[in-house]
Amino acid sequence: MNFWSVSTRRLLMLLAASALLLGIPAAATAFASSATTGTGWIRLAHLSPNTPAVDVYLYSFDNSKAMIVLHHVAYGTVSPYESVQAGDYSVAMRAAGASATSQPVLSTSVTIAAGHAYTVAGMGPESGLRLQVLDDALTTPSGQALVRVIQASLKQQEVKVTLGSTVLAGSLKFASVSAYQAVTPGTETVTVSALSAGAGDANSSVTLAAGTVHTLVVLDGASGLEVVSLEDASGSGKPPLGGVQTGFGGTAPHGPGSPVPWLVAIGAGSLLALTGGLRLRRNRQLIARI
Amino acid sequence: MPTRRPVAALAFAAGLVVIAGGVTGLLLTRHSTPAMRPAAVGVGAVPAPTGPIVAAFPAPTGPIVAVSQSAAPKPVAAPVSLTIPLIGVQTNLMTLGLEPDGELQVPPLNMVSVAGWYTGSPRPGAIGSSIIVGHIDGDNKTGVFFRLRQLSAGDKIYVKRSDGTLAEFRVTSIQQYPKDHFPTEAVYGPVPDAELRLITCGGAWDPATHHYVLNIVVYATEVS
Repeated sequence: MNFWSVSTRRLLMLLAASALLLGIPAAATAFASSATTGTGWIRLAHLSPNTPAVDVYLYSFDNSKAMIVLHHVAYGTVSPYESVQAGDYSVAMRAAGASATSQPVLSTSVTIAAGHAYTVAGMGPESGLRLQVLDDALTTPSGQALVRVIQASLKQQEVKVTLGSTVLAGSLKFASVSAYQAVTPGTETVTVSALSAGAGDANSSVTLAAGTVHTLVVLDGASGLEVVSLEDASGSGKPPLGGVQTGFGGTAPHGPGSPVPWLVAIGAGSLLALTGGLRLRRNRQLIARI
Repeated sequence: MPTRRPVAALAFAAGLVVIAGGVTGLLLTRHSTPAMRPAAVGVGAVPAPTGPIVAAFPAPTGPIVAVSQSAAPKPVAAPVSLTIPLIGVQTNLMTLGLEPDGELQVPPLNMVSVAGWYTGSPRPGAIGSSIIVGHIDGDNKTGVFFRLRQLSAGDKIYVKRSDGTLAEFRVTSIQQYPKDHFPTEAVYGPVPDAELRLITCGGAWDPATHHYVLNIVVYATEVS
């Protein structure tokens, strides 16, 4: 007598299970593909005026074999950015030509987050050399350029840096870094002037395009100050709005791509089978009573 | 009044048949949707291109010049052509700007076999994210980027420049985004190395708007 009710229950469970198996995952996986690649960027620099050339090593945190080795990096050198997997790294500096297994002069750890960029620079005087990790900007205010200054001149301990009429840093001390400043795109003259009397200014013309990030590095030149402009990052100065309409159609068939009609069919079928099944059961009960 | 037994039995059996049909149809629908793309919602999906993937074009020749990020990088020449050997793409590059409404221009309907470089983006091989777009189809023909979605990490892309130099890129990832949730910053924002973004359409064709619902973006980085 319980045959039909057990069967009905089974049928309902089966239907619920198929809905779970077929319907819900379809919805859940629909737009789950916008994962990032999980990489960030790092670059290495030697910005200590009286420190001789060094070899710079980049290690992945759990690996004693260096990922990247830059040989004979002299004062004023800034490497290109290297793209690396997000994670923990360490940077070590050894005297140029020193054995790769020798005790480094300096080392520091750096955590690289996906989509972020870092500069690891040897800064300060040789007697107080340190490795500084700088967070590099990768986004600019709309239609503007970003610029910052690294003061790496030992001859002039304090400098003022202007871009056209904009003061980028009023009084920037040796081995320090200014905050980023958003500026109007264009070609301007950078002027670096020492705050102490008697020193000459350094001038340089820089072009800052919209959607770019720059670092100006103040260096000790052969005579006086030097200013170097680095373009750290660049994108579209005027990012297009929204998506891109790169299809006129014509290769897309107009087939039943939607699962809805099929789900409706399953529902209707279940209703029909359920009704039929219950009727059959009732008939049996009636027959049994007679 | 009890329903007559044969009718009830018939209804039960018919119900089971309809369920079986529905489940089969659902499985077929889901199966025919390539794993890379989300299930189409109420509109027809683009079929995956058929045919073997062969290197239809050899890699172009020319001096490969990667510009280093130094204090005074040499200016990079404008791009003139694009080659993607794996999917048989070899096209000249037209220049594209912005529409008055701020959207990115696309090659016209009679040029669906040509890709274009957005002049507001960095030149391919210069520091930054360079933008090249191409159609998936048009005028009932396949477009230059019809097979773009077949690319995967590691595949090579070449851009030839007006000075004869070549920039070589390697695909790092391929992503798809609903157009109404296009990640402007990720695609057009600044990056600190020489990168390329190839953009086309994908997903389902929406007959109501006459547009595809997704954008497919191939991210590539210059091989230095």
